[in-house]
Amino acid sequence: MTTLLSLRHVEKHFGHVRAVNGVSLDIRQNEFFALLGASGSGKTTLLRMLAGFEALSGGQILLNGKDISHVPPNHRPVNLMFQSYALFPHMSVAQNIAYGLEMEKLPRTEIRQRVDEILATIQLSALASRKPEQLSGGQRQRVALARALVKRPQLLLLDEPLGALDKKLRGEMQLELKRIQHQFGITFIIVTHDQEEALVMADRIAILQHGELLQCAPPREVYEHPANRFAAEFIGVMNVIPVARDGAKLTAAEGSLIRADIPDGMGGDLVAAVRPERLRLDAHACENRLSGRILATAYHGLDLQVHIETPAMPKPLICRVTADAAEARSFRTGDVLSLGWSRADTRIFAA
Amino acid sequence: MADRRTFRLMLLILGLVFAFLYIPISVLVGLSFNAGGMPTAWTGFSLKWYGALFANQDILRAAGNTLIVGLVSAAISTVLGTLLAIGVEIRRRKGSVLETLIFAPMVIPDIVLAIALLSFFSLLDVRLGLHTVIMAHVVFNLAYVCAVVRARLKSFDWSIVEASTDLGASTLTTLRRVVLPVLAPAIIAGGLLAFTLSVDEFIIAFFTAGAQRASITLPMQIYGMIRFGVTPEINVLATLVIGFSLVTLALSQRLNRGGLPGQ
Ligand SMILES: Nc1ncnc2c1ncn2[C@@H]1O[C@H](COP(=O)(O)OP(=O)(O)OP(=O)(O)O)[C@@H](O)[C@H]1O
Ligand SMILES: [Mg+2]
Repeated sequence: MTTLLSLRHVEKHFGHVRAVNGVSLDIRQNEFFALLGASGSGKTTLLRMLAGFEALSGGQILLNGKDISHVPPNHRPVNLMFQSYALFPHMSVAQNIAYGLEMEKLPRTEIRQRVDEILATIQLSALASRKPEQLSGGQRQRVALARALVKRPQLLLLDEPLGALDKKLRGEMQLELKRIQHQFGITFIIVTHDQEEALVMADRIAILQHGELLQCAPPREVYEHPANRFAAEFIGVMNVIPVARDGAKLTAAEGSLIRADIPDGMGGDLVAAVRPERLRLDAHACENRLSGRILATAYHGLDLQVHIETPAMPKPLICRVTADAAEARSFRTGDVLSLGWSRADTRIFAA
Repeated sequence: MADRRTFRLMLLILGLVFAFLYIPISVLVGLSFNAGGMPTAWTGFSLKWYGALFANQDILRAAGNTLIVGLVSAAISTVLGTLLAIGVEIRRRKGSVLETLIFAPMVIPDIVLAIALLSFFSLLDVRLGLHTVIMAHVVFNLAYVCAVVRARLKSFDWSIVEASTDLGASTLTTLRRVVLPVLAPAIIAGGLLAFTLSVDEFIIAFFTAGAQRASITLPMQIYGMIRFGVTPEINVLATLVIGFSLVTLALSQRLNRGGLPGQ
């Protein structure tokens, strides 16, 4: 696969705030790439630098091998879908979408044809003559997407595109975005602070923390092998168990042995981590075991989340079991429960 | 029952307020049709004073001058005031404020501004005339237009400017196709305000018009006439001005309603 976009040691400083701090990344043609990070981690800033709205404090941005760091936004083959949608309030849906094509001085007939085409794709043909204020949030969002897509940019940037939508519509739009990305063959970079959204949609995920790139990998890799404790706890739910190390031997606070592969060169205080869905009720068959009292159970429809108080951990251990499993029906607060998991599902991080 | 009584009371108060506002004006309008021409006695309906007015060359010239001053100064100050408002807002967003400086002409007493302008013109040795009145009116109109447009800019969504740039538009195209249309209702309102302010402005015009009769504006003309008492012609003139104002008002409201959805 060919590289479309390269970031080389990209920096952005606002006064003494380092909003983006030495980020280097390669993004491939046709990739669906997600930028993930906590609030204030520099996602929007990075996106705005790619669109050309923020000057770089250092580093380079290459598109197809050419340095575009100093190309103004209206001359970049890159489009941004704004977090607030930024639709033109005085123009109809069709006029909003046609605007970018008019800027390219395309013939009228072609503009009309392309606008009609994209309106059909986003299923808004019937609303072409409405003003943005007469649309629902989801419809506005689709118009904003269409307005950016219709220009057929090489790269489409989306800043929290689904932020304003309710959960159900979000799910639908996630699939819709993927479908459209596939259909148009455009590289997408999407910013989100919803880790689930990133896992569902992206080919690769980059995690930012304090303006620095923490990890960049496919969703499964990010979920299964987080780069450090922050990434582990940021993506999904993670049980973190403080452990004491004696050579290759790890013990939890209440004395039970934790078997795990310790990465090379890891020193200082360590924690063992395991995902809630990797915990099993048949503890005797597992290499690692912990037991505790049930604090609470939360029914999520498909599965049941059990919070367990154990002397090995400062926070409750969270375990996910299928809700209609025979044992799950009989759980009662205060019951003592023994849980196990395998060595292969155990990750070790610096505390 | 009590509610009903309060409601009636409120209606009464409303009626009194309107009476207070409009009785003097209706008296004036009525008198303009008074055949005898004396404010003390009604002697029958007549249009003869209207005829007299339109035969009065001085008044017609003054009205013409006022229209010229109003239109030209409103046009100039609308263009400059709008650009000024946009520029100031952009600077403000970048953190530097020079607002107080712009709105000074609104709070400085007219008489002070008038003297200042007169001294300025004579210092530069500018011949006084209609053109100096126009320039002087632009000075204070600018502040009003700027204030009206700035009020609209407070709720302006700047991300649409970036969106326009992102879609390939140059700064000028963005101004023409996005910023100005969205601000249009405020710009029109500012222009109309400037026009009406200019039409009834007396002090500054009086100081900056010079001595020739050719540059007398309507308020100056009326002032000159009224020194010899309220003539029926003045009633007629005032009635026409009221009619003109009402039409302008209706027009501006129509424009704002039928205008663009800019809130
Ligand atoms: N124009 C600016 N001036 C000064 N500081 C800024 C500016 N823009 C962003 N910052 C700072 O840079 C850091 C990164 O901000 P950014 O908006 O990129 O975060 P984000 O990851 O998009 O957060 P969120 O998820 O809340 O949108 C923050 O600390 C922010 O305060
Ligand atoms: Mg952001």
